[in-house]
Amino acid sequence: MKTPESVLKKEATQAKVAADKAAAEKAAEEKAVADTEKFKENSEKYDKEYEAEVRGAIENRRKAKASGGFYVPPEPKLALVIRIRGTIGVSPKAKKVMQLFRLRQLHNATFVKLNEATIRMLRLIEPYVTYGYPTRATVQKLIYKRGFGKLNKQRIPIADNTIVEKGLGEHGICCTADLVHEIYTVGPNFKQANNFLWPFKLSSPKGGFSRKTKLLHYLEGGEAGARAEEINKLVKRML
Amino acid sequence: MTARPLVSVFSLTGDKTGEVTLPMVMTSPLRPDLIQFVHTNMNKNKRQAYAVNIHASKKVVAQSWGTGRAVARIPRVGGGGTSRSGQGAFGNMCRGGRMYNPSKTWRRWTRKTNLKQKQQAVASALAASAVPSLVMARGHLIDQVPELPLVLENALEESTTKTSAAKTILQAVGALADVEKAAESKQIRCGKGKMRNRRYTLRRGPLVIYKSKEGGVEQAFRNLPGVELCCVDRLNLLQLAPGGHMGRFILWSQAAVEALDKMYGSEVGQKRLPVSCLTNADIARIINSDEVQSIVKPVKPGQFDFAPKRNAVKNTDALEVLDPYAAAKRRQQAELEAARATKKDELRLKKREERQARRAQHKEEGQAFFAKVSAQGDVCADGFKIE
Repeated sequence: MKTPESVLKKEATQAKVAADKAAAEKAAEEKAVADTEKFKENSEKYDKEYEAEVRGAIENRRKAKASGGFYVPPEPKLALVIRIRGTIGVSPKAKKVMQLFRLRQLHNATFVKLNEATIRMLRLIEPYVTYGYPTRATVQKLIYKRGFGKLNKQRIPIADNTIVEKGLGEHGICCTADLVHEIYTVGPNFKQANNFLWPFKLSSPKGGFSRKTKLLHYLEGGEAGARAEEINKLVKRML
Repeated sequence: MTARPLVSVFSLTGDKTGEVTLPMVMTSPLRPDLIQFVHTNMNKNKRQAYAVNIHASKKVVAQSWGTGRAVARIPRVGGGGTSRSGQGAFGNMCRGGRMYNPSKTWRRWTRKTNLKQKQQAVASALAASAVPSLVMARGHLIDQVPELPLVLENALEESTTKTSAAKTILQAVGALADVEKAAESKQIRCGKGKMRNRRYTLRRGPLVIYKSKEGGVEQAFRNLPGVELCCVDRLNLLQLAPGGHMGRFILWSQAAVEALDKMYGSEVGQKRLPVSCLTNADIARIINSDEVQSIVKPVKPGQFDFAPKRNAVKNTDALEVLDPYAAAKRRQQAELEAARATKKDELRLKKREERQARRAQHKEEGQAFFAKVSAQGDVCADGFKIE
């Protein structure tokens, strides 16, 4: 008995589907291998860049000291803002600003590019947040441990470089090292990179907040407001 | 539906004597839902009304005592001298009171069904009776029946008058098993029906459909348990699909089968033939056809399961996935630390040994001094002198 035409047709389509799938898998494998090489190169390049930056600052300081002058390091471009007060009883302006910064929950943290406008915005929300200038290591740790990306409006963990590629591939950011570099150096695609990162959900700090009361400004012994480099210590306890 | 199969006509001794084309009705679409709907409605039409007495519990003069007398406010029977006085009356909760919502004879006992629905249901039931699996599913024993629909020659209705003859005919045609099943199933009904002139219950056997009863076919078959008779002009859904379940076992006479084709049709005076909404019921073939497959979208890849998050700050394998250069660097650092640690351990051990050696030496010297001085005796006799 001849095999029915419908069976033959179905077999043909299924074979095609299987072949396509195999080809796609092979292509993905090859791409993954090529990517790993590329990412290694990028990571090394960035490492050298960061080192050069640190060395450069030290040299400048030494030069200035030697010549009796002063070395004024460039103003910081990046801030890490952590919300330290809850959502009840917040004034409307501050509420709006925190919404714009995506700090909708207690202990949410985001990176913020520092310019005239954002500095003024931060001033408005000072009693509710604490902020400072993160180091490269802090940026890295935050993304490694608490990094989630926004894919298709969903909060997806950055467990793989493919997540970063899916979210930011069109801006040239394909791996975590690229992402860290873009954020830390506030590159041209900072807005997209930062928006791809879901606001970090930090734990409450190990060892607690200030013994006095956290509601006061940092300078008064509390926790609120600007605290420059000290933010890194706090993040270490909250990571 | 041009080429219709031929149905064999059997003689009264069970041999094939002729053929007849399958009537159009028997190719109607099978509609169990419609049959059930029409059957439930038709089944209500032979009901007799029941109701409670309209005067029930009303023949009492009772009035509520009102409040203030430490009793419930239900109307109470007046008067005295009997235990009935002062008892509650009129309520559904009272003894001897009227029931809640007393049943009335003007309840709507019968149901109207649209003519089209009734006709379609009958057509569908007839079609189902031609499908052996459905008839078996309904519970009839038709293993020995040679063919469905089972058509017997006209002698069935023309010359069968005796029940004994009827029995032999059924035997010859393989239908007796069904009749015997009905006979064996006679039981006293459970429930109050048995005292209400419905004493016995019985399974339904074959249904004999004839064209004319002049020949005495009714007299022949009516006493056999379970067997029912029906004239083809007045087909009854309650017999064709008992209980709303299609697939009654039917014994046709040739005249009856031939009459079906004249009864159903599109001319004036004929009954409607239902039209199926599907012309091609082979769904699998439709789905796999070129016309459908060519415009069907490809299979969706399905849920993408994202990898679980691992802490790359602590877990170097997790870091390997994210940043292999950094992972290699971290591993290198770890090895250096380990090497330094072992070197540190070695140094420590060495220092400890040296310390212990020195301690041992000191102890020896001390003991030697003590022995020497003890031998001397009083050291401070001459102003502290050790020899």
